Amino acid sequence: MTTTSMSSDASGGAANASSLADPRRASWWVLAIFLFPALAVYVGLTAYPAFRTFYDSFFTIEGLDATFVGLDNYRALMSDETFWVSVRNTFIWSFVAPVLDVATGLLLALALYAGVPFARFLRVAWFTPVLLSYVVVAILWTWIYNYDWGVVNLVLRALGLDALVTSWLGNPNTALAALIVTHAWKWAGFNMVVCLAAIHSLPSEVLEASELDNCGWGAKLRYVIVPMLRPTLLNLYILAFIGKMKIFDLVWIMTQGGPLWATETVSTYVYKRAFNWNTFDLGYPSAIASVWFVVVCGAVIILNRLLATRERLEY
Amino acid sequence: MADTLAERAPLPRFFSRGALALVLGIYTFYTLGPFLWLMTMSVRTTAEISTDHYAFPKKFHWEQFRIAWIDSDFATYFWNSTIVVVSAVAVVTLFGAAAAHALARYRFRGNRAVYGILFSSIIFPPQITLISLYQILVDYNLYNSLLGLTLVYVSLQLPLTVYLLEGFFARIPQDLFDAAKIDGYGDLEIFRRIVLPIGMPAIATTLILNFIQLWNEFLFAVVLITDPDKRTLPVGIRAFMGDHFQDIGMIATGVMISVIPVIIVYVFFSEKLIRGMTAGAIK
Amino acid sequence: MAVVTLDQITKQYGPTGPVVVDHVDIHIADGEFMVLLGPSGCGKSTTLRMIAGLEEISSGKLSIGNRVVNQVPAKDRDIAMVFQSYALYPHMSVAENLAFGLRRRKFAAAEVDRRVSEAASILGLTPLLERKPSALSGGQRQRVALGRAMVREPMVFLFDEPLSNLDAALRVNTRTEIIKQHKRLGSTMIYVTHDQVEAMTMGTRICVMNAGKVAQIGAPLDVYWEPADTFVARFLGSPPMNLASAMVASSATGHGARSASLESPLTRWSPAVLGSLIDKKITFGVRAEDLFMNKAALGSEPAGLVRGRVIAVEPLGAETLLLIEVEPGVEWTARLPRHVPVSTDEIVELYYPASAAFIFDATTGRAVIGEARRDPRQ
Repeated sequence: MTTTSMSSDASGGAANASSLADPRRASWWVLAIFLFPALAVYVGLTAYPAFRTFYDSFFTIEGLDATFVGLDNYRALMSDETFWVSVRNTFIWSFVAPVLDVATGLLLALALYAGVPFARFLRVAWFTPVLLSYVVVAILWTWIYNYDWGVVNLVLRALGLDALVTSWLGNPNTALAALIVTHAWKWAGFNMVVCLAAIHSLPSEVLEASELDNCGWGAKLRYVIVPMLRPTLLNLYILAFIGKMKIFDLVWIMTQGGPLWATETVSTYVYKRAFNWNTFDLGYPSAIASVWFVVVCGAVIILNRLLATRERLEY
Repeated sequence: MADTLAERAPLPRFFSRGALALVLGIYTFYTLGPFLWLMTMSVRTTAEISTDHYAFPKKFHWEQFRIAWIDSDFATYFWNSTIVVVSAVAVVTLFGAAAAHALARYRFRGNRAVYGILFSSIIFPPQITLISLYQILVDYNLYNSLLGLTLVYVSLQLPLTVYLLEGFFARIPQDLFDAAKIDGYGDLEIFRRIVLPIGMPAIATTLILNFIQLWNEFLFAVVLITDPDKRTLPVGIRAFMGDHFQDIGMIATGVMISVIPVIIVYVFFSEKLIRGMTAGAIK
Repeated sequence: MAVVTLDQITKQYGPTGPVVVDHVDIHIADGEFMVLLGPSGCGKSTTLRMIAGLEEISSGKLSIGNRVVNQVPAKDRDIAMVFQSYALYPHMSVAENLAFGLRRRKFAAAEVDRRVSEAASILGLTPLLERKPSALSGGQRQRVALGRAMVREPMVFLFDEPLSNLDAALRVNTRTEIIKQHKRLGSTMIYVTHDQVEAMTMGTRICVMNAGKVAQIGAPLDVYWEPADTFVARFLGSPPMNLASAMVASSATGHGARSASLESPLTRWSPAVLGSLIDKKITFGVRAEDLFMNKAALGSEPAGLVRGRVIAVEPLGAETLLLIEVEPGVEWTARLPRHVPVSTDEIVELYYPASAAFIFDATTGRAVIGEARRDPRQ
């Protein structure tokens, strides 16, 4: 019997050592080849900019001139009424809207699970808005809310409810709610698909056992399905929460934060201060961004702890 | 499965099947209606739309697409989007897959720390990097360039890519790598010849997901691009709407141009796409 | 030529970490089918992976075919391995999977084709060559994995629990298939399993491992009939060997073992050996199949006796298992002919030939060596 092995061609001592080791280990240069590109992108385009924003928040930056101002930006922020309005709006959105999204998603998923006809088609159809960009959704819903010919007002007039007809996006009392509905329209399908997958992955023995325990649909839902879906639902809530803390596109295109700051969010306010108002100071918006960064990370950590969901947080 | 369960466990009596069907019908109309409406408007002229916003097109004005494509610069926006998104997706998938493989396969000090660092940026609000990225790109003459936007897009999608692929690669059985080692594969070959082909389903999902998210991206594009010739579709549509907000027909046509690639991807890969979009939330 | 020698092989994770393989010495002859047998976590798989080159050897010397291979990478050791999960490349067809290892080693295309088609026809894989692994049944995948190793014609075959993912019927078939191929190829094979039936039926020799150490190496029946210690005695055999503590006593008729519930002459040990054990505690053992209800079945042979309370009677059809409590907390099992006329809680006496008794050191568990146990089948 002859030796059929080929000696490794181009590999020197280091390569030999690494191919000798157990397959779960690799020499440092192999790891470097795999990890370096991703880490370089991370360091250059995520970590460094984030750090720089934080650093900039202690300066007034106009063009190329940076003047150290210490905590002045933060002090100004504390008494900036517009900032506090945007914080309030964002919090309303972040805490309230996810309930709407997740509840709708769960109900839709249950409907599909109960075995309505065309379930496959409905699932795909309901998911479609998730794929549309915020720009597209915003344009569509701007038209839907149009005072003269938007479908909302047309329906209200047709029903004889002329008293309720309003300029939905132009009225400070309704603008935020109108945006929240639009946002829910886009995201309900996402929550539905996640809930449906979670329901399908519930152990069927448990559902069958509950039937033997004389649970009807309502009881099964209340005592078995929802408690078992709890981790998924909480996870979805946190996902929706994070998404809404960052909300920008939809607001910017539909209302630009107006009317009278009724829909101003922290994101739109940062954008305005940095790029839209002709104040030319990047230090102050950096301070807002830094504060908001801490708030978002803190809120996510606290929510995660409070709800004690799972080991990993997604999105 | 749903069917058999439904037979055994009928819905509560007070909520009859007919009522359920009605509610679901209305909801379906609510999700699809606006989109169908958009489609009808995209083939009608603004004059026709103004007389009745909800009429079915009497005549299909396909020339609207030609006008939008050529005269209204949507071709430029479309190709800018295509170049930026395709290159960013290619790069982020390659970089992300390499990192995900190293993190999923090899034991080394700091493995979980690196994973945690890469992954945690998924919750960062975009503003924390937005302003500085603007300054950095200006510093390096990458502001208002498609290359700069592409680089930023790579960094935006990297955490999600690493997260999704790491989860999948970690499930490839170790035996396969042992067998490859006995067959004489080096570490780089294992990645290229084993991990990439076997990981194809997950990589395809990630590709599609990254494509959709970047194709729809607006915030960074609007900050980092000012030149009209370099606008991507979302920014282009927004700018067009700003200039011609009365020209509803043309806006609708432009919106359709931006939506069609997404719809095509969705038609062919709806299952993959739904799985990818929700992979982060399902355990 | 393909002799495999493990000389004081040790695996320790880190300088202060756990020692999972502890100074193991195994010498495997050319053409031998060596089974590494032991409970999970005993270090048998780690030993195999060190032979394969998939795990570094902390200390000791490993040689394959008279070549020390400690520093030789896996691909150059001229070994082939069959994995528990088969480890077929899912993106390649059966034919490509079979050919892959050869192509990697730059064999001529004609030679690759010849070996692949030969292996495929031997294993009945010819109609499946174009399929992907996902389109195969478990048994078919297992045969592809075997074929992939066979085409390499390696010096040594390594098997890592290759049958544990198969169902019972398939397991028997594949077992026969592997034995057949071993006869045909005459190559050295090393086979890791926790299943004693596989070990008994397949191995030329068995190496029983426990807690990272070699407990015993020997031909299957030698290990069964002369277990080196109580661990081997209990691990091999189903039900495991019955054990109870007893004292060695001397009487007018010779030496014997005795406790409250058992009494047996000790005929296989010389008076010199037993003399040093008198009045000392030992562990006494008898296999389940050596216990009888009826003393007459033993003929003229000196008989031992054990007494206990019946806990359960388990009729299995061809035979009946009788569980008795010999002492509080010590249960013995007897494998008896079909009809067992006893009922639960009854006190029964069982008999066994004195030559079927084993004695072990009460503290170390090592067997006290006596005259070879007569293999009852001869």
